[in-house]
Amino acid sequence: MKPLVLAAQAAFIVLLLGAWELGGSVGAFDPKLLPPPSEVAVALQALLQSQAFMADAFDTIVRVIAAFLIGAPIALATGFVMGENVGVGRSLSPAFNLVLSVPQSIFLPIFVLIFGLGFTEKLIFGITHVFFVVAVNAMAAVREVPHGQVMAARSFGASKIRIYRSIYLPAMAPQVVTGLRLGIIFDIIGILLAEMYASKSGLGVLLLRWGESYTVDKLMAATVLISIATILINELMRIWEARVGRWRQAVESA
Amino acid sequence: MTVRRILAFAIFLGLWEAVRRFNLVGPLLLASPSEIGSALIESGSEFILALRYTFFEIAVALAVTWSVGIATGVVAGMIPFMGAAGGPILSSLFAVPLITWYPLFMVWFGIGMTSKIAYAVVSGFFPIAINTLNGIRGLDRRYLQFGEAIGCSRRQVVFRILLPMALPSIVSGLRIGTALVVIGVIVAEMLASLGGIGFLISYYRSIYATGHVYLGILFALGCALLTNWGLSVIERRFMHWRELQIGER
Amino acid sequence: MKSDKPVVIETRRLGKTYGIGRAPIVALQDISFTVEEGSFVSLVGPSGCGKSTLLQMLAGLVSSTSGEILVDGVAVRKPLPGKISVMFQDATLLPWKRVSENIEFPLEIQGVKAAERRERAAAMLSLVGLSEFGARYPHELSGGMRQRVSIARALAPDPRIMLMDEPFGALDEQTRIKMGHELLRIWSKTKKTIFFITHSLTEAVFLSDIVLVMSHRPGKIVGTVDAGLPRPRTYDIIGSAEFGAARNRIWKLISQDDDETANEGLTSL
Repeated sequence: MKPLVLAAQAAFIVLLLGAWELGGSVGAFDPKLLPPPSEVAVALQALLQSQAFMADAFDTIVRVIAAFLIGAPIALATGFVMGENVGVGRSLSPAFNLVLSVPQSIFLPIFVLIFGLGFTEKLIFGITHVFFVVAVNAMAAVREVPHGQVMAARSFGASKIRIYRSIYLPAMAPQVVTGLRLGIIFDIIGILLAEMYASKSGLGVLLLRWGESYTVDKLMAATVLISIATILINELMRIWEARVGRWRQAVESA
Repeated sequence: MTVRRILAFAIFLGLWEAVRRFNLVGPLLLASPSEIGSALIESGSEFILALRYTFFEIAVALAVTWSVGIATGVVAGMIPFMGAAGGPILSSLFAVPLITWYPLFMVWFGIGMTSKIAYAVVSGFFPIAINTLNGIRGLDRRYLQFGEAIGCSRRQVVFRILLPMALPSIVSGLRIGTALVVIGVIVAEMLASLGGIGFLISYYRSIYATGHVYLGILFALGCALLTNWGLSVIERRFMHWRELQIGER
Repeated sequence: MKSDKPVVIETRRLGKTYGIGRAPIVALQDISFTVEEGSFVSLVGPSGCGKSTLLQMLAGLVSSTSGEILVDGVAVRKPLPGKISVMFQDATLLPWKRVSENIEFPLEIQGVKAAERRERAAAMLSLVGLSEFGARYPHELSGGMRQRVSIARALAPDPRIMLMDEPFGALDEQTRIKMGHELLRIWSKTKKTIFFITHSLTEAVFLSDIVLVMSHRPGKIVGTVDAGLPRPRTYDIIGSAEFGAARNRIWKLISQDDDETANEGLTSL
């Protein structure tokens, strides 16, 4: 089954690319609006060699990473405290759920009004995208900690650090990594949206500008590049997630 | 309880108003409740018109997303090979920041309603398809055997056993997908459009009419809350059996 | 087994092999037995010996790779709703339907008219002692009650044969004993032929006329034990010497399979 599935997936992608490549030349759609993959590849190569493009890409990457590096640790700490401390968790989690159920992107204009168009606004908007999803998952992760084992370890006289390292860490890791994975995806979406909405630099600005000026080959190349990069980040995080979660399968099959 | 809630809300509004009245925050950054109110009086009819525009886009996008999403999930869930091959592709694609595709939709479908609807449809599609797929794949196989044993046709198995069984998971997909459709429409309007609530928000931000911006955001929030409320009504109507079942476990 | 009652189920050298090519797995081999009309037959064996597969084959849900199954002398190739009812370990009730609607469901699929369905459902509910619960939802009932609804649902089409796949396996010990009594009471009233799978030797001896004993890898019938206990039975019978003797015979048949791990999941309770 497994190799067959992979073959089917590969065939699907090849078929899609083939239809895209040939569709324009047989007149199924206008190649000016949807340039074939070969042209997109050429445009992509040109973009990657263009210093202006790389400068914008660099700005975007810096914003994404900065927001993640600031947002994630605060979120992990908050989530952990909320999970460990029942009182704190109970008083804060309604507010968290409220914020999570309200679409953050709608508030983007307010961020612009308050923080302007610069780095700060993007950074803070990115942090809000990272923060909540990571915190909620960290809180949920604490619930995965097996209390029986903690009790047993305590009765053996294990130190607090030892308990955290040997019981808490492996038990919480899968859910925490899930949170981090979603956090970085949300982060990327938030930063790009903020750039598209109002910014002086970044990939988002380029995308919207190219869209408005019908520069389709570059637009397509950049969009595909961003999509593939995000899929790769997501898949890598999923591999990590599966790794730290291996004990789950082991427990289930035992 | 309700009295206390109203009181808390009144205090919140009062504080908000005070912050502005004493000019603790500049007029460009924050609009007070009274400023939002006067924006409503001044341009209420304009906002109502925009709301109709936005609602129309949302309705069309929802009709397409729900039907295509559920159908995809059911087909992939029923055929094990399709599910095994399609499931990972769907969840990989779900990670793509779809907002970056919006400029392409502008090129393909113009700056009017169609590009917003297209963007909203793709952003709502994945969670609905994925949840439907997982809901059907996760069913206890014995229910299928039970259906076969009592002589159900394939059609009956799908419509009388499978789909109702998977309904909780489908509905949670619909919740996420619907929220994404509503936000998708409004955010797309904010980026580039000819009308709608998102358009007004962006327009008034560019002329620094802060009260109008806040009013627009309140309308947008209203749209999101309204659809969410509508879904929970449907959910309660059709799935009264579910919450009790979960509560018991 | 030397009675003049007609045979309802007969299997002839039934086999099931999984996988093709180099490494086929023989799940079931040479399964031959008969079940007489109106009798209560149990099948015991270790976990994973293929008991459930055998039951699914009898139900026409899974095909065999060799041999044949005859019900009333006719080969079974597909489910026979109305003639054979199947019960699973989980009650498999439809959670969005009320109890009475659940019982009516198989009848509805068979195209029975609404008035008649309602009448049947009411009769079945009173048979299993749940008359007051027809309007409830499955999640409002206890595990034992749900299994009783499942019995009522299986009986509703008035089948000749009930196939039961460890129906009480997920219940706690006390409920399980009560359900055993309850099943015997219902059986004595309806006179259905029951084919019952369990991994509890006590449950098998307590309920059955005949106990078929299965071994592991490949799944084979290694012996047939006639419980030979008088009816009606009460729980006290479990302490009797005859009961102990019957159970020991089964245990010996199973442990001939010297491999200890093969008997995992068997309880002598």
